[in-house]
Amino acid sequence: MGVFNRIFVRRFFVENIGFFLILFYFLFGVVNASNLLYYHMGLMEGFLTGNSFLALVLVLWLLYNFKCIGFVIKTLQLPQYSFLYDTMTCMAARERKTLWWRLHFRMYLPVFIYGGIAAVLGICKQYFVPAAIILVFNMAMCIWPVWLYEKKLWQPDVFFFATRFSRWLNKLFIKPPVLYFYYELFTAFPRKIFTTKIWSAAVLWLTFFLMGQSDFYDVRALQLGMIVSVLLHTQLMIHHRAFDEIYLPFMLNLPMSTWRHYSRVVGIYALMLAPEAIMLFFQSAGHFTLFPLFTCIVTGISMLILFRVLLYFPRMNAEVHLRWILVISFVMLFMILGDVTWWAILGLHVLAAGIFFRKFWAYEPWLESE
Amino acid sequence: MADQVISMQSVSKSYQDFQVLDIPRLDLSTGIYWLKGENGAGKTTTMKVLAGVLPFRGNITLNGHVNSRQQPVQYRRLINYAEAEPLYPAYLTGRDLLELYFRTKGGDRQPVLEMSAKMGVDNFVNNPVSSYSSGMLKKLSLLLAFVGKPSIILLDEPLITIDAKTIAQLYDFIREVHAEGVSFIITSHQPLDSGRLSIAGTLTIENKNLILN
Repeated sequence: MGVFNRIFVRRFFVENIGFFLILFYFLFGVVNASNLLYYHMGLMEGFLTGNSFLALVLVLWLLYNFKCIGFVIKTLQLPQYSFLYDTMTCMAARERKTLWWRLHFRMYLPVFIYGGIAAVLGICKQYFVPAAIILVFNMAMCIWPVWLYEKKLWQPDVFFFATRFSRWLNKLFIKPPVLYFYYELFTAFPRKIFTTKIWSAAVLWLTFFLMGQSDFYDVRALQLGMIVSVLLHTQLMIHHRAFDEIYLPFMLNLPMSTWRHYSRVVGIYALMLAPEAIMLFFQSAGHFTLFPLFTCIVTGISMLILFRVLLYFPRMNAEVHLRWILVISFVMLFMILGDVTWWAILGLHVLAAGIFFRKFWAYEPWLESE
Repeated sequence: MADQVISMQSVSKSYQDFQVLDIPRLDLSTGIYWLKGENGAGKTTTMKVLAGVLPFRGNITLNGHVNSRQQPVQYRRLINYAEAEPLYPAYLTGRDLLELYFRTKGGDRQPVLEMSAKMGVDNFVNNPVSSYSSGMLKKLSLLLAFVGKPSIILLDEPLITIDAKTIAQLYDFIREVHAEGVSFIITSHQPLDSGRLSIAGTLTIENKNLILN
């Protein structure tokens, strides 16, 4: 148990020390010590009596559970821990499942303790149904990941959503090159894509909220929200370049025109903003016509394409890239404020295509020298 | 040369400031060539340059008229390449890759599918490549090199990591495809079996230059 504890539990808490410090600061550091107990009792009573508040709390606990699960799965994928497959599969099934349960329980323990206290408070105050929900939910959170870990242990090649269903899908559906990067994101960097999308949705929601507060719906304000959303997506581009460099050189031997390669890049970034496009459509009901929404989405996609294409300059490292992104975003912002958005979009496309057609075949990763 | 399959003029390749290849001129007629060289001599770089996977200076022409720069799509239809250590995105299946190659390289599917059955690739073709052993991955990559209607196939260390039965099959495939007029450039640290393949010439890299012996 000791070695597994060191590999999973101790590493989990050590690597997430920053996260726990921030969390403890917000939970216990922002309130006066004399009021701390009443603050937490009030908080617990809040979610014991309010259904939507309880739902929100359960979602947050679920997210924490995903964090624990993600850590274990990621550890199992690290080459230095490949010996776990040889050793753990030799253990008796019951012993191994108990071990998984104990390891996961220890990682989930902070939530379990807090939830347990809330449930006891609920029982004392006769909120039996929410207390039971909290107890059952937390017990389920400790048990179901065992099934996931077992699955991963016996099928190491199985990634994020690779189930029997996806294997069946593999026979039925040929993955188009435009989706390769998305498969990579969802299998290798699921947390990154989900957090990007959550932040992006939050920014757009905030944009609509602020416009609603002032009752002033202006497409330029929406464009500003879109620019911030685009900026949040740029962190994915360095991964995209690395992915292309490592895994897709074989595609350079395929008889595909430069135009077709460019279309793939355009397709990837058009798809990337599809959730935002849907969100804009539903959020803006009655406030904007389709054309300004379309303009807004096209602006976002065009910026993303140019920002990705900039990385075909081999010496463009993350720092230099960010500088260019900020400069271009400022120029875009002023052009939008000056009501010349479509000229700006045209400029972005001409620039992106120009760079791509000039640089694509000549591109080689740049080796940074000391 | 009437049946000149590949012609290199002033081909040079550098990694940043470090020059690896400098080939003033080399013409090869149809045949099977063995590319020899020590580790680090530039064999794989040569193969990648010829395959159009790496940028380079100079000109490469196939069949006397298809230029790598002026007709890049047609050029890549005529030259296929199997890497020494193939690497594909983990979640792609063999079938995903085969379909991509069929769609882009064109040609007749049937011989490739027969080859796939003989090599046993069809047993695992629906699984993601992350579940393949190095030998299975190598078989898939070799199979992909035979897709389409190439004039020349480049095989980088095709004899490593595959079993003796597959090596024998590979020799048969090379012989059969060569009989249809397809040329091969094969790098290998092991000598190619001259009893099974008739080698038109040996290529060596000397002082960054590719020389036909």
